[in-house]
Amino acid sequence: MGDMGQGLQQAFSAITWVALVEAALVVAAAVLLIFVIQKLVPKLAGKLGGKARLYLLASVPLARLLIIVVTIIVVVPILVEPSFENMVAIFGALGLALGFAFKDYANSLIAGIVTLYEMPYRPGDWIEVDGKYGEVRSIGTRAAEIVTPDDTVIIIPHGRLWNTLIANGNDGSDNLMCVAEFHLAPNHDVRRVMALLRDVAFASPYTKTMKPVVVVVANKTWGMTYRLKAYPLEPRDQFRFISDLTARGSEVLAADGVQFVSVPVATTA
Amino acid sequence: MKDENTTEHSHPLPGGLIPVDQWKQPEMSVQRTLKDAVRHLTAQLRAGISPDEEPFQSLDDLPSLTDKQIQHIAPHPDSTALAGALLDSLQELRQSETLRREVAVVVAPPFSGVREALVRLPGLGAVSADAESWDLIAPPDNLLMNREEARRWWDEQDLTGPWVIPELADFWLRHTSGFALISELLGRIASGQAGQGLVGCSSWCWQFWDSYLPDAHLGPVTPAPLDAERLGQWLEYLAASRDGRAITARMTDDGLYVLPVENPQDAEKRKHSGFLRDLATASRGIPGVALAIWQRSLRARPEDEMEEDTGTQARGPGGRNCWVVPLDQLSLPAMPQSSDRSIGFILHALLIHDGLDEERIALVTGVGKPELQLALSRLTRADVVYEGEASGRWHVTPLGYPMVRRHLQSWGYPVDGF
Repeated sequence: MGDMGQGLQQAFSAITWVALVEAALVVAAAVLLIFVIQKLVPKLAGKLGGKARLYLLASVPLARLLIIVVTIIVVVPILVEPSFENMVAIFGALGLALGFAFKDYANSLIAGIVTLYEMPYRPGDWIEVDGKYGEVRSIGTRAAEIVTPDDTVIIIPHGRLWNTLIANGNDGSDNLMCVAEFHLAPNHDVRRVMALLRDVAFASPYTKTMKPVVVVVANKTWGMTYRLKAYPLEPRDQFRFISDLTARGSEVLAADGVQFVSVPVATTA
Repeated sequence: MKDENTTEHSHPLPGGLIPVDQWKQPEMSVQRTLKDAVRHLTAQLRAGISPDEEPFQSLDDLPSLTDKQIQHIAPHPDSTALAGALLDSLQELRQSETLRREVAVVVAPPFSGVREALVRLPGLGAVSADAESWDLIAPPDNLLMNREEARRWWDEQDLTGPWVIPELADFWLRHTSGFALISELLGRIASGQAGQGLVGCSSWCWQFWDSYLPDAHLGPVTPAPLDAERLGQWLEYLAASRDGRAITARMTDDGLYVLPVENPQDAEKRKHSGFLRDLATASRGIPGVALAIWQRSLRARPEDEMEEDTGTQARGPGGRNCWVVPLDQLSLPAMPQSSDRSIGFILHALLIHDGLDEERIALVTGVGKPELQLALSRLTRADVVYEGEASGRWHVTPLGYPMVRRHLQSWGYPVDGF
């Protein structure tokens, strides 16, 4: 411990005011650049559609990581002589500080770096973490921001990555399967209903028809449950798409005389 | 009926018909690819920055050709000749056993002229004594029917003799009750119960039905794409089709030749421009699109215009001269920017149905009437769609088509394979 303290003293003894100002300027430039990228690129991406939007959004955290690494490489030699002893002293002290004082913060920082490598979620992905579902708006150094369908921003620390199940709906692509459910009274022609629901998906202008359209049915105690699975044109259309499928499906089934079932609701007087 | 001024390869259907899976987009230069990508990207990013639609405008000062001159230099193709060429090509495919089905399906991208040609098939008997007598099958007024009604409707049609459907897209609507007619017909064709027939189908309509009935393998054929060489020959053929006079076309910027096409046997050596290759790429090898851009790029010299006004020949004793503006100097239609989906719905519906009237656009897209009228008005001002005078049906313009296809693709819509 005493050696490390001496090493640190030696490492920082050569720092001058000029070097400090120079390093501060570099850091300030890097922060400004990251800020601009984080504000500007998502705005540009919002104007694009399809894969171009996803690629542009995914480039933001990578660009930020790159800027941070370059900044460290530039700043360290300005402040201290990059000898082996100096590096051991600085990183040793940094490790101790992070280990005791900022354990959770460092945990999330490291998970953030792992996120960039393993990519369990990227900006533009629709994910569910701990029951919260939304679109990843940005991936910060410590946490990711998702926006729910009700326009609520939820901050998810990257540290959740280690011990939480993360469901990703589109996994970096622009293909996100949606499911519209229909709960119908029994005693109807099942094959006909399946054919009608398939037509419903092909009739919707939101449907990406080159992707599969599937209808599955299950027999439940209350009747039959149909699940109409199809892909919307873009993941962000998913709620309008499911609404459209539900509306069209209900219309067609009602016209064909098929009854819906509903759960009785108990009311208190 | 070959004209002596036309070249040996001149033909209303250059390259003939080929199986759909052999179709390839004309090759594109790296420079053109990059330019197109940047142009498309900036067009998308301009959303909200320049809200005014910009219809076509020329960026050069040279006088455009008059309509009369265009009708002589770049007239619309003769659909009857194309109908004959389609039949000849189908016959060749049958002889080579590339086509074995009794019912041939000709899938073609929009503006290929196949619909217009097939409409003329029943009249071919009057032109040629050898021609077979074709029955034209027209769609019913009401396309919304169930499977039983569709079965009965097809039973009433005479499918015993040679029959032709100029455009399959006229037989359906993207609606839960609008699929029955085509489902029934394709079922009959696949099982060999439809006699001898010929079906024309827009490539966008085909893309939809290929997804809807993935197991219907009907072996469709398609016109070969116009690459630079075929395009040059076809434009020469068109120019000579009216009065047999050849055309000489040169670039306005560097004077390089566009037409006549390069011929190693020519005594006179000319330096040729890469314009035809760019045009083939920009039009995706589609004749109608290439012709529309070609007509817009033609220019007259002031003296030529005067000569035309006084009724004298344009240039030279046997041919015509004209000038061609580089594609970069043409401002082609741009997509009006909109944050909601209605514009995409409308354009996609127009392409998969090969044109629709307002009522049916509203039916298949679910876009309300006021919003629909506003969107159509914006698209019309931007030269992206037009309303057919006689039919009242809305269509995408040939000049706007490549841009529309690209936008629909980037917005996630399923697009045709051409």
